[in-house]
Amino acid sequence: MLTERHLQIFIALAEEQHFGDAARVVGITQPPLSQGLRRLEALVGAKLFERGAGQVELTPAGAALLPYARRALTSIEELHQAAVARDPEGPEIRLGLAPEVPPSAGAAVAAACGAVIPGSRVTVVTAPTSSLVNQVGTGRLTLAAVQHPAVLDGLEAGPVSLLPTWALVPASTVHDEVVALRQLKGLPVAVRPRAEAPAARDLFLDTLALHRPDGGTVVVTDERAGLAMAAAGQAIVVTADPALIAPGVARHRLADDPLPLRLRLVWSRTRTPFLRPNDVMAQLTEALAA
Amino acid sequence: MSARIRGIFDDAGVRGWLHAVSLDDPETTVEHDADVVVPLASVYKLPLLAGFCRLVDEGALDPRERVTLEPAERTAGPTGLSVFADPVTVSLRDLALSMATVSDNASADALLDIVGLRRLAGILESFGLRHTWVRRGTAGNLRDLQRRTGADNADAALAVLADNDRTDPAGVYEAANGSAASARDLTFLLRRLWAGELLSAGQTEFVKATMHRQIFLHRLASGFPHDGVRVAGKTGTFGALRHEAGVVTLPGGAAFAIAVLTLAARGDLRQPRVDAAIGEAARVAVDLLR
Repeated sequence: MLTERHLQIFIALAEEQHFGDAARVVGITQPPLSQGLRRLEALVGAKLFERGAGQVELTPAGAALLPYARRALTSIEELHQAAVARDPEGPEIRLGLAPEVPPSAGAAVAAACGAVIPGSRVTVVTAPTSSLVNQVGTGRLTLAAVQHPAVLDGLEAGPVSLLPTWALVPASTVHDEVVALRQLKGLPVAVRPRAEAPAARDLFLDTLALHRPDGGTVVVTDERAGLAMAAAGQAIVVTADPALIAPGVARHRLADDPLPLRLRLVWSRTRTPFLRPNDVMAQLTEALAA
Repeated sequence: MSARIRGIFDDAGVRGWLHAVSLDDPETTVEHDADVVVPLASVYKLPLLAGFCRLVDEGALDPRERVTLEPAERTAGPTGLSVFADPVTVSLRDLALSMATVSDNASADALLDIVGLRRLAGILESFGLRHTWVRRGTAGNLRDLQRRTGADNADAALAVLADNDRTDPAGVYEAANGSAASARDLTFLLRRLWAGELLSAGQTEFVKATMHRQIFLHRLASGFPHDGVRVAGKTGTFGALRHEAGVVTLPGGAAFAIAVLTLAARGDLRQPRVDAAIGEAARVAVDLLR
């Protein structure tokens, strides 16, 4: 019996011309991909690809049948979409946001979820990157915006979005609108606990130490605490939140943006409810970085 | 007990795989996802070394035979013949020595050409390795990386992997695309080598002596800061992959085969925390086995 999977394998192999790459696109490993191709060739009674060392090429028969396969797969996807649109409940999208994600950016991603999947119900939680990655891996979350770099272990991930950051310092510490990190002397930089995202935090700390050899850091539970310490003249906050401010605290751009917030959307290849996850994630990534 | 190993990997910001076994008591092991097949980077030089020595034992290769390597045909790399300016005439056993002690890419690819992928595959199978594949050497890895990054030279391609602001191209770290093995298979190979089950006494001694002469001490050996502990190993580094497989011998003579394979979240070329975590994980594993 000809299945949707056969069509996906046919089209992926035609586009990638490589067994390993095609397997990844379809979301399976190489052995079932090869097996699926052999079944499909038996079903249509024609050899569709010439197999070389690692590379594959369409045969004339394969090239002739490819447009039909594309049309058939598109029709199946339209059927799925029509079915989803008729579901009165709509699919549930459980979105996770790392605490570093600026509130406005998180809101934009959540809003985009609703726009991309009409009728969907979006729920949102905030948790540290390491926890979000686990929750996406176990299926408790549909997708999450997490700090990069992080150990993703088999999860799918979109491109890295770089969000500029500002330094929030006690007022009248420095007077320039744009400051170099080196100028921000004498006060520790507030950072969140390292275990929340070890790789991203180490990259932040290593970069900070490179630009600012002294001053140190102080661990805070969240930006609320960091901001309060800045207002009290005790710490510097580095934030990607364009709106975070308090009396007694001045916002400065950092010269050359040495400490951007790196964010990525992550999702599970096998658990995604989206028919075209890559297209959906591209739109959500745009919302994240906008 | 795997939880402690997992904690070390999480803290270092890496996905890690580990297998450790007592040479005297193969039933006693410490494991962390030991059956996952991982791309080997330069650790492929270990099965290649063993395969070369087997061919010497069989009389198929003369270890004293000399070959001349021209600069233009040598694989790039940071050590050994890779950095020499002029043609080099060298014996096969010295190629093996340079390959294993300083991870010389030029020597390794020259030796791989002489041994041959197919002949090596047969030997590894005869060794009882069911999850070890040497599919290509360093030149092949660099060519594949250039194809996937679209970079026009190896340095530019590696710079893409080192950039924390960019996404790694798909498939770069996929085991199916290159030389790969499971941590369990690597310690199985080491255990049989050390027991003298695979090679003649002379070639067994050559493998052990060569691996004891490896110059890199920042990974496995960093976990054992005592001169009484002997560490023989082979490292592997490619992009975010950082590995070492080796044998640790304690002053009393108790010996342990250990493979620690990691994929770091960060892309940076220098990651001393990850190197140290490999040593720490090895030490914890040995302590659990003692």
